[in-house]
Amino acid sequence: MWRRAALLSLAATAYVAAAWAVTPGFYDGIAPPQPYRWVSPPPQFKSSNQQPLSGRGSARVASNGSVDPGSIFTQDGQAAVSFVPGAFVTPADRSPVTIDVKPVAEFPDPDGTHLATNVYCVTSSSPMAPGKDVLVTLQFSDQLPAPSDIYEYQGDGPWQKIGSTGSAAPFYIAARATSLGCFAGGYSANAKQSAQGAQLGGGQALPIIVALAILVVVLAGIPLAVMRRRAAAAAREDESEP
Amino acid sequence: MRFALIQAAAPVRVTALAVLVVGLEWSRVLALRAPGLLGLQGLTLLAGGAALCLLAAGRRPEELGLGRSHLGGRLLGGVALAAVLLLPAAARWGGGAGLAPALGVAAVAVSVGEEVAFRGVLFAALEEAYGPAAAVLGSTAAWTLAHVLSHPASFLPAVTAAGLLLGAWRWAARDLVGPIVGHTLADVAL
Repeated sequence: MWRRAALLSLAATAYVAAAWAVTPGFYDGIAPPQPYRWVSPPPQFKSSNQQPLSGRGSARVASNGSVDPGSIFTQDGQAAVSFVPGAFVTPADRSPVTIDVKPVAEFPDPDGTHLATNVYCVTSSSPMAPGKDVLVTLQFSDQLPAPSDIYEYQGDGPWQKIGSTGSAAPFYIAARATSLGCFAGGYSANAKQSAQGAQLGGGQALPIIVALAILVVVLAGIPLAVMRRRAAAAAREDESEP
Repeated sequence: MRFALIQAAAPVRVTALAVLVVGLEWSRVLALRAPGLLGLQGLTLLAGGAALCLLAAGRRPEELGLGRSHLGGRLLGGVALAAVLLLPAAARWGGGAGLAPALGVAAVAVSVGEEVAFRGVLFAALEEAYGPAAAVLGSTAAWTLAHVLSHPASFLPAVTAAGLLLGAWRWAARDLVGPIVGHTLADVAL
C-alpha cells in the first residue's frame, strides 16, 4: 500500500518536473500543427501554400443586458478572439454582436519589427465597452523563428506592441487588447529568435479549475476515507465475533 | 505445453497490439494533416478515438480497470490526476482561446480512446504476459512513440512523464476510470 503510494507520488513529482521544463506543460496535440497558411508566403513555402481563411461569429445579448462571452476563430484556426461577458457595448436593439476576423494583405510598414505571422484585422458590429479587453490568439509557423509579442495597429498605423500573455499550446501566442484593430505576431528586427516562443504569464481560468479540482479532492476525499475506514472496522468486528 | 505455447505467443501478441495502437494514433495525426480532411478535424478525431476504443472489444471491463467498485474514489482520483497534469500550466497561465467547441467534444473521444488503448488494453496484455513493471513501462513507451508525430521533440519528456504517471495510477489503484477522467479533464481544460 505505502510502496504504491510512494511510487505514485514519485511519478507525480517526475511529471511536474518534466512538464515544468516546457510550456504549457500538459499538451496532448489534439490538433497537430497544420502547415501555416500565409497571405504572402516566404519563398520556401510558396509552392505548397494555401490561403488563410477568415472567421465570423456572433455573441448574443443575455437577459441581464450584457453581451455574452465567447471565442471567434478563423476557419483554419490560425487566429482567435476571446472575450468576457460585457466586453462589447450592448446594441440598442439588443441584436447579437457580430465579430469578424480577416487576414489582410496590405498594412502599414512595421518599421523595425519583423512580422512572423499574417496580419489579422478584427472588427465588430458594436464597439468594445470601456475598460474591457479581448484576448487575441495567433498561431505561428513551426518552421520559422517564433514571435515574442503581438503588435497592433488601428487605421493607418503605426504599429504598437501590446505584449504577450503566452498561450495554452505550442506555436500559438496571445495578448490582451483594449481595442479592436489589426494584429500580428512579431519581434524586433534586431532580436535573435528561437523556434518556439510560447511562454505563459498572469492567470485566470485554468488556475481556478485546478484549485477547484484540489478542493473537490480534499472535500470529497475526507468522507470517502472515513467511510472506508468505518467499513473496514465493521468488517474486522464481524470477523472477531464468534 | 499449453502454458509454453501461450508464453511463446505473448511477444508476438503484445508487439502486434502495440504496433496497432501506435499505428492508429499515427494514422489519426497524418489524416489531420491531409489537405482533403482539413475541414473535418472533429470527425477525424472522433473516428480516431472510436477506433482506439474498439481495441477493447472482447475484454471484460474488470480486466481493463473499468469495474464499478469504489466508483466515487475512482472519479475523485481522476480529478486529482487532472489537477496534477494541469498544475505546471496553471501556475504559469496567462489565458488562451482554448479548443473550439467541436474540437472539445472530439478531444473527449480521443482522451477516452487513448486511455482505453494504452492504459487499458495494452497495459492488460503486457501485465498478463510480463508483469506490472513491464505494463507500466511498455505502455508508457508506446504512448510516447504514439505522440512523436504530433509533438515537438522538446515536449516528449513531459509526454513520457504523463504516461508514467497515468500508468502508475493504473497499476497502483487497479483502475482506469481515474486516468480517463484525469486525461479528459486536462485535454478539455487546455
